[in-house]
Amino acid sequence: MNKLVSFTAALMLGLAGCGGGSGSDPTPPPPPPPPPITKAEAFQFLNQTTFGAVTSEADRLIAMRQEAWIDDQMTKPVSLQLPHVQSIPVPQFPFQLQADRVDIWFRNALHGEDQLRQRVAFALSEIMVVSQLGALNGAPYALADYYDVLARNAFGNYRDLIEEVTLHPAMGVYLSMLGNEKPDPALNIRPDENYARELMQLFSIGLVELNLDGSEKLDAQGQAIPTYDQATIESFAHVFTGWTWAGAPSFRQAQRSRLNQVVPMELWEDFHDAGPKVLLNGASLPAGQGGVKDLSDALDNIFNHPNVGPFIAIRLIHRLVTSNPSPGYVSRVAAVFNNNGSGERGDLGAVVKAVLMDAEANPAVRTGQSGKIKEPLLRLTQLWRAYDATSNSGRYPFDFAYFVFGEGPLQAPHVFNFFSPFYAPPGEIQDGGLVAPELEIATEYLNTFVTNFMFGQIFGLNSTNQNLQPDDVFINFESEMLLAADVDQLIDSVAGKLLGGEISTPLRNEIAGMLALIPETETAIRAAEVIYFIVTSPEFAYQR
Amino acid sequence: MKKINRRDFLVRSSAAAALVSTPGFAYTQGFGAAAPFTDYRALVCVFLHGGNDSFNMLVPNTTAEYNAYAASRQNLAIPQADLLPINPVSQAPGTEPFGVHPSMGGIQALFESGNAAFVANLGPLVEPTTLADYQNMSVILPSQLFSHNDQQSQWNSLKGAGTSNTGWAGRMADLIQANVANQKMATNASVSGTSLFQSAESTIAYVMGQDGPLQFEGFSDDPTSILFDQRLAFQRVLDAQYDSIYERGFANIQSRAVQAADTVSTAIANAENSGVITTVFPNSLLGRQLSTVAKLIASRAELAMQRQIFFVGIGGFDSHDDQNQNQPGLLGGVSDALAAFYSATVDIGVADSVTAFTQSDFGRTLTSNGDGTDHAWAGNQLVLGGAVNGRDIYGAYPTLEIGGPEDVGGGRFIPSTSADQYAATLANWFGIPDTDLDVVAPNLANFAQRDLGFMIA
Repeated sequence: MNKLVSFTAALMLGLAGCGGGSGSDPTPPPPPPPPPITKAEAFQFLNQTTFGAVTSEADRLIAMRQEAWIDDQMTKPVSLQLPHVQSIPVPQFPFQLQADRVDIWFRNALHGEDQLRQRVAFALSEIMVVSQLGALNGAPYALADYYDVLARNAFGNYRDLIEEVTLHPAMGVYLSMLGNEKPDPALNIRPDENYARELMQLFSIGLVELNLDGSEKLDAQGQAIPTYDQATIESFAHVFTGWTWAGAPSFRQAQRSRLNQVVPMELWEDFHDAGPKVLLNGASLPAGQGGVKDLSDALDNIFNHPNVGPFIAIRLIHRLVTSNPSPGYVSRVAAVFNNNGSGERGDLGAVVKAVLMDAEANPAVRTGQSGKIKEPLLRLTQLWRAYDATSNSGRYPFDFAYFVFGEGPLQAPHVFNFFSPFYAPPGEIQDGGLVAPELEIATEYLNTFVTNFMFGQIFGLNSTNQNLQPDDVFINFESEMLLAADVDQLIDSVAGKLLGGEISTPLRNEIAGMLALIPETETAIRAAEVIYFIVTSPEFAYQR
Repeated sequence: MKKINRRDFLVRSSAAAALVSTPGFAYTQGFGAAAPFTDYRALVCVFLHGGNDSFNMLVPNTTAEYNAYAASRQNLAIPQADLLPINPVSQAPGTEPFGVHPSMGGIQALFESGNAAFVANLGPLVEPTTLADYQNMSVILPSQLFSHNDQQSQWNSLKGAGTSNTGWAGRMADLIQANVANQKMATNASVSGTSLFQSAESTIAYVMGQDGPLQFEGFSDDPTSILFDQRLAFQRVLDAQYDSIYERGFANIQSRAVQAADTVSTAIANAENSGVITTVFPNSLLGRQLSTVAKLIASRAELAMQRQIFFVGIGGFDSHDDQNQNQPGLLGGVSDALAAFYSATVDIGVADSVTAFTQSDFGRTLTSNGDGTDHAWAGNQLVLGGAVNGRDIYGAYPTLEIGGPEDVGGGRFIPSTSADQYAATLANWFGIPDTDLDVVAPNLANFAQRDLGFMIA
């Protein structure tokens, strides 16, 4: 008999034996083990889940496969930022610590063991945006602590995350909820609407009703359906009143300090609007239940809106896997947000796993729209991880990241992040109804800046440079220099470190052509040339 | 004016959208064969991101109107004695003496000399809208009012109730492509990032930094240098075949960057070396952007440019907090930079050929939230240049009363003039024929006045 029949027969015999005594059932043969993942596949997965695939991690991944790797990642302790920033002696001006905040961000990104958690925290920081640019420039502790909130909640529950974000003073300052007061008609004062608006538009439900697959619901006239109107905004604005810096002597005299910028805001009931509110989907809050209950009920109201699942699903898929997921992919991930399989709504850990383990994250048949453009900051971290980037001081004070790369940790120009989830460059992407958000910051200017930065990093800031400053971050490719005489070996080695071993023929040929012009004795320049051409290539900019 | 049935309008709206998104139809409506322009004109869009509180930029100065303003604005009102008075020449009903914000001396001077004008109570509209229309939902409204990025998109694309992937500057550039075929730089150029304003079906805007294009390191024009080969090899990598839309998209941008950097940087350097611009610009972000624009305009002959649209932008106008502290610097910065820009166009000899104009997400609430203002709708915009029919206020400046006939709530006014009309007036001056203005401004047909008259022909 063939295997299927014998297995079925065994099953039926087992079932037949359920009612009473059982005979000895033939054990079905174990399913054959899946083929090992290739190095290229390992690199693909690690570029979705870390700050840059490296060969040593690829070897670990091949041994344990993706699901076990994810589970293992979720057990790693959280790498934090605030303890480091607080350990620095207080400088003359608080903003000087922003460099230290960015320093610890890089240390965690490059060397932290909790790579997946940090990658998800980075994704969350591009959704629930606060930024150093603006009023928070002088609050580096607040920004570090805010990022730690994202990291701690990356595999937790979305409802907990959204509450910690709402009450964090960094967000309170950034979107004006801190110090927001109930109305005063005599002075024509209304509650500030900033946080109410952006919480709904950008952090949770968006502007229009969505189906589970992320498509817009349409009314009888074929128009999209707004999720809220001005009255709803005003209601939520009235909910978000009465909160300010913790431990203040009075509501209006509350001032920022080093201590209160890292603890949740506190409520002053006298400044909270006590009236009734009407929220989403007609839900209403009664008058007089107090600011804490109002806030909790309001966040529940948003959390339970059916949009949140697809809204978050699309954004996490965008950040980790692909710019153009199929409706099916979005549905599957959104469904996990709605119910993680154990009846829990909002389980971000389950959602992240669903994003990464879905068949579409590693499609058997790739299309022209599989994958995405790597964010420029992640191209940098990938290069730095591959070539052991370090500095003589041990620091990575790269707080001008935003100006070089068009993005940097908590350095967005405004609450809409560095680029829009809906951006489509003109040409085939726009014509095809597709998006490529990361290309919004791939202007001629920024691309040139990044290419020039890579030129300087690779040819200049490397370990052969005798004139490095203490804080200069330099890479080490001395192992490649040993192979410099053999063109194929050299290219294979660099491609192995940066492209998972797969390099296109045109790129290989152009590199070989350039190497033919560089004397064999110039081992550093030869190695640098290969790295430079690969790191600035379209195929390196592409995340499979 | 005919009352428009909602369903009828939807049909028309999709026709307008078809005009925008069906290149064949739109462009055959254009100039036809490649007749080049015989003159030079440039538009400079100055986008004030965040929503400029423009009822403090242009303030009523007669007793009754000022008192209404002050009563509404409370702690945010500019003291009347501090206003810089301006004297609009128009005698049309509804126009009254006004003042500009005390930090805008440069704008006051430009206005009084006839080289600047205001367009009052301006904003995105699909069709003329009264308060009753708004409350009864009996007209079509622009979507997502009061949302920053959506209103920036509204101003830039004039999308109304629909969606759009193109901006009105992008559509203008597409319309005139055949007429400017010899230009060495794109019609649309930005010194402030990628913007929907300049996105188009066909043409692509050239994005530079505030000081101009960057050059690539490691490339050389000297054929004896290995850096010459490096540049060619780099370009061949970009020209290879790629299977992924993302690789192709990236390679495309990189290619354009390499080629354009040379051409445009050389032109700017030549403009600097010629010494034609003697005006000193303020060293602010806006000043530097406008200085670069001025140099590009000075190089128009070298780059064979006849029509240019520049995008310039600064942020910081979202004055939810600390408005009294921040507004003088914000508006003063705009005034100083624009005054310098006008002066530079005089240096170059193109003052009558270059028109700068502001856009902003929205005006802001007349009412205060304690120390600032929130998102509103209609606001006042500024146009300046030698071709502007200056020293006047166009549109209908509203009475600044809370709960007045234009207030939809909290001191948010319904625009009495539409952004479509604003754009069409500028497009008309730019050289877009009347029959194509509906492509540039898709809702224009709903308004009686296709040209607001603030440009001399």
